Amino acid sequence: MKNAKKTIEVKVERTIPAPAGEVFDAWLNPKVPGTPWYESKKLILDAKVDGLFYWLFGNGTPHYGRFTKVARPARIQHTWMSRYTGGEESAGTVTFKKKGDGTLMTLVHTGLPDDDGGRGHEGGWNYFLDKFPKRFAKPTPKKKKK
Amino acid sequence: MIGMDQLTSVLTAISHPTRRAIIGQLAHGPARFSDVAKPFDTALNAVTKHLKLLERAGLIERRKQGREVFISFRAEPLRQVAGWMHEYERFWNERLDSFEKHFQAKKTKQEKKP
Repeated sequence: MKNAKKTIEVKVERTIPAPAGEVFDAWLNPKVPGTPWYESKKLILDAKVDGLFYWLFGNGTPHYGRFTKVARPARIQHTWMSRYTGGEESAGTVTFKKKGDGTLMTLVHTGLPDDDGGRGHEGGWNYFLDKFPKRFAKPTPKKKKK
Repeated sequence: MIGMDQLTSVLTAISHPTRRAIIGQLAHGPARFSDVAKPFDTALNAVTKHLKLLERAGLIERRKQGREVFISFRAEPLRQVAGWMHEYERFWNERLDSFEKHFQAKKTKQEKKP
């Protein structure tokens, strides 16, 4: 019997003001803010074809994966498993293309379960609200002391 | 499940920095119109327009208490937007925002060098 679980794809793009090679290298550097590996509680990262990664996110969620393509400076591909993928293998692909003086970075995450776990009603909601006021609010002007 | 029309109006409402700042302010508790408008340099009728948009999206509501009107934040539409987004959509957007910011800061630093 075939597994007919509904899956979705997430696609995110950004233009990074640096050459593709530099962006590619930075993406695999856990010290660079914004990489998936940044601020891990525990990290094992072996970024080569068939190399594995394990990282423990700040909220205690472990992530596992295997690199399937590491082609500098154009593409990184790996599998990706966590509780948000329901224990199933999903796939992450990051491509880097020259765009003007910078690099168009496209991240596509496929095979994500389209269920409440993935959509993270509870977790996502709390996460979003926690971040929201801090992220968007302008600092309240300080009252002058008399 | 959130409807597309409501989703559009909520996303439109939170797309403007002033409106996000208003929400941020109201997230601490209800406030009078004059208090909401105080931190902004914009004209009062501009603030009124922002509030109307937020109200249309269901993100704020007005309540009369005696002679005063208090404006308060309603989180439900944001919860629905958050539920509409996949956990990883949020995650990757956050990550790529900081990744981009890192490079922009690096570029600015390099440009400042004599």
